[in-house]
Amino acid sequence: MARRRRFWPYLRAGLLTLALLAAGYTLYLDFRVRHEFEGRRFALPARIYAAPLELHVGLKVPEDDVVRELRELGYRPTARADGSGWYLRNGAELEIALRPFVFWDGPQPARRLRVAFEAGAVTALSDAQGGELALARLEPLPIGGIYPTNNEDRLLVRLSDVPKTLVKELIAVEDRNFYSHWGFDPRGIARAVLSLGSGHVQGGSTLTQQLVKNFFLSPERTIRRKLTELVMAVLLELHYSKQEILETYLNEIYLGQDRDRAIHGVGLAAQFYFDKPVGKLSLAESALLVGLVRGPAYYDPYRHPRRALERRNLVLRETRDEGFISAAQYQAARATGLGLNPRPSTGTTPYPAFVDLVHRQLRHDYDEADLRSEGLRIFTTLDPRAQAAAEHALADRLAAFDRQGRFGKPGLEGAVVMADPQSGEVQALVGGRDPRYQGFNRALDAERQIGSLFKPAIYLTALEDPSRYTLATLLDDSKFVWQPPNSEPWRPENYDKQYHGQVPLYLALAHSYNVAAARLGTTLGLERVIATARKLGIGRELPSYPSTLLGAANLSPFEITQMYQTIASGGFRSPLHAIRDVTTMDGRPLKRYPLAVAQVFPPDPMYLLTAALQDVVREGTAQSLSNWLPPLGVAGKTGTTNEQRDAWFAGFSGGRVAVVWVGYDDNRPARLLGATAALPVWGEMMAALVPEPVAFPQPEDIEQVTIDPQSGLRADAACPGALALPFVKGSAPQERAPCAGNPVVDNVKGFFQRLLGQ
Amino acid sequence: MRLLFLLATLLAGCATAPPEAPSPLPPAPAAGAAPAVPAVPAAPSAPSAPAANPAVERLMASARADQAASRLGSAEATIERALRIAPHDARLWQQLARIRLQQGQYAQAESLAARSNTWAGGDNALRAENWKLIAQARDARGDDAGARAAQRNAERYGR
Repeated sequence: MARRRRFWPYLRAGLLTLALLAAGYTLYLDFRVRHEFEGRRFALPARIYAAPLELHVGLKVPEDDVVRELRELGYRPTARADGSGWYLRNGAELEIALRPFVFWDGPQPARRLRVAFEAGAVTALSDAQGGELALARLEPLPIGGIYPTNNEDRLLVRLSDVPKTLVKELIAVEDRNFYSHWGFDPRGIARAVLSLGSGHVQGGSTLTQQLVKNFFLSPERTIRRKLTELVMAVLLELHYSKQEILETYLNEIYLGQDRDRAIHGVGLAAQFYFDKPVGKLSLAESALLVGLVRGPAYYDPYRHPRRALERRNLVLRETRDEGFISAAQYQAARATGLGLNPRPSTGTTPYPAFVDLVHRQLRHDYDEADLRSEGLRIFTTLDPRAQAAAEHALADRLAAFDRQGRFGKPGLEGAVVMADPQSGEVQALVGGRDPRYQGFNRALDAERQIGSLFKPAIYLTALEDPSRYTLATLLDDSKFVWQPPNSEPWRPENYDKQYHGQVPLYLALAHSYNVAAARLGTTLGLERVIATARKLGIGRELPSYPSTLLGAANLSPFEITQMYQTIASGGFRSPLHAIRDVTTMDGRPLKRYPLAVAQVFPPDPMYLLTAALQDVVREGTAQSLSNWLPPLGVAGKTGTTNEQRDAWFAGFSGGRVAVVWVGYDDNRPARLLGATAALPVWGEMMAALVPEPVAFPQPEDIEQVTIDPQSGLRADAACPGALALPFVKGSAPQERAPCAGNPVVDNVKGFFQRLLGQ
Repeated sequence: MRLLFLLATLLAGCATAPPEAPSPLPPAPAAGAAPAVPAVPAAPSAPSAPAANPAVERLMASARADQAASRLGSAEATIERALRIAPHDARLWQQLARIRLQQGQYAQAESLAARSNTWAGGDNALRAENWKLIAQARDARGDDAGARAAQRNAERYGR
């Protein structure tokens, strides 16, 4: 008795403590539930879009390319009387039912278009009633996102947008007493236990418990965790309505995997599996999604279509058994196929290299956390056609090298950057031979010797002084030794190990003679040439060694593209950029990235340099480009480095500037020339895009004078191989070449010949 | 003979002034010089007289309306959109230069007006206007000498 009496108070105190602890823990859980549920907003990835295709009369675009873009946007090739998102091809005419889309400059409603094509260009554009349209913008292609950790992706939906049948199916299969229980369901647990092994589908957890589990808890399976889950589920039910819980559940639930991207919520799942908004799902389609709740991998309809179909039909049957749908509805739905969206999966992005660039440029202006959670919409400069051309050209050429069998393993790699010379907008970026691989981004991060790509900086420095240098100025390509103070002498050599004597400047560049360029560069002064390179857009410090003149510096393809953008635009540097606009999730503009231009060189020397770079293609190291393109339409420069470790080509047409690099990642000699490895990629890619020819109106201070290339002096009809070169007025040689005759007579003769059309 | 030559030079001068060859290397080898180089087709939206593209005209008008209403951000975006369609249209570069001037971005305004000049071809009125813009931009930045030089150019082309 005494012992008992003594025992009771302890027990009571113990129980009281326990109750207090339990209450405290419950209060803590209650705080967590309310705090996190309310404070919780789903993290929404930033969505990234390509540049939209703008249709207008005169646009050079083959009908096939437009159709390809529509297909990639998920447009279907059949008319649907009600909706949008389809196209019809009638010969050379295309009818398009555009979906509505919220652009950075406002919403664009759904509309019908008729587009006529002829010879690879748009010849007419009208609305459905035949009214002429000046301009029509297709919606931009989504090309990826910047995802929350775990790469969770979702499209938020409101409960009112979700079909009632989907909710009924979910409840029939996952939680029949959802509307009547308080967060947990003893009947459901009992049923789950009873039906073990019977092939039934019901699990023991309510939707509320599942939500708690996904939301707050780690996946371990312990009694304590189960109890916590139960308490939290009850608390959740106390604080929130069934509707709120259901809506959150529908947005949270994990429903599939697209490579590295996790598909969450019925909104995104509807788009991913069926390419539809969730509200348009049929009974059978929503049953498939509901069936996935239990095991998105196990029931993956792409990999296990049979299993997925059986599971779907089970969901339909249970829904019928609950009396939510009629027998006739059940039979009809059961009879349909899976109806999956055939689009191949792309993971977080099909263009990882470009998205990497977008991400880096966004980091200047945005918090990483905001990028991964605020659902920002990023409108970029990517030109999907240019990107496709670049990817194919690089992959094809590298595959051809693989077939030759002499390049070993790991094989050759490559990178491509393409931009609009007028604006600096990056149109395409390929970071390696497998453009889908999210790894080392060679376009941005491969820092390689640039070789002869540097030479335009030397020649431009010279051409800035027309009193001393013209395209016809003879340069000395004889043996050259440079003895810097306190260091080893430098003896540049030509690629062919020969010396070429006196060579006109334009030819020295065309044939990429190292010795002439090195001598010219040291004569001009290393610092002046490096300053020119800086003005052209090479941002980093270049070492002040003479070998810099021949491209010993390591630069990325992206940096070289900046340099050639300035050249291609005639001396107007525009920072290369990948973003045009950023808006909030609902379309409110946040930031524009306006076109920025800085004139860093006057037109005259730029015109001369461009002429010389056209000569590289016409008669120099890039002559083989004529296999792909008419030689006068393009300008560019080949580059090959020591022991042929790097093969480069940098060049431009009227509308595009592009740089191609090919080499090994480990920097071993590749035994490839710029002209044989990088140039073909460039040519093939440009040819696929039907480029405009280089367009650079002749400045007022420039005149054309016919020159004898042997002597660099004035020529006339009597001179073999004479050619017209541009000169800053007054800078052309006055002296006449030995082959030329009397000036006045010839000029007049020439005038009459022209007059008579001879 | 001498007179005839002068006349010829003058005529040639008239025909080409202001010159607007589409590309740095026009196919003008000396008579008899070989190999002859095929002609470069002029860029379709070549300088001075861009083919009237209804899309470009519409965007220009829309940008002008935005400018008048001081919606400069919108005007800028619209002109950039037009430039993607017709990057060689000197009028668009000029309009963008004017927008930048209104925005107080004088360095940009000056570079853009210079860009317009490179595509201006024979349109001297447009060039004069560009030099006026450059003069205003330099003036606003306190570059008096530069502004005066630009103003002289404006007058030269304005004649």
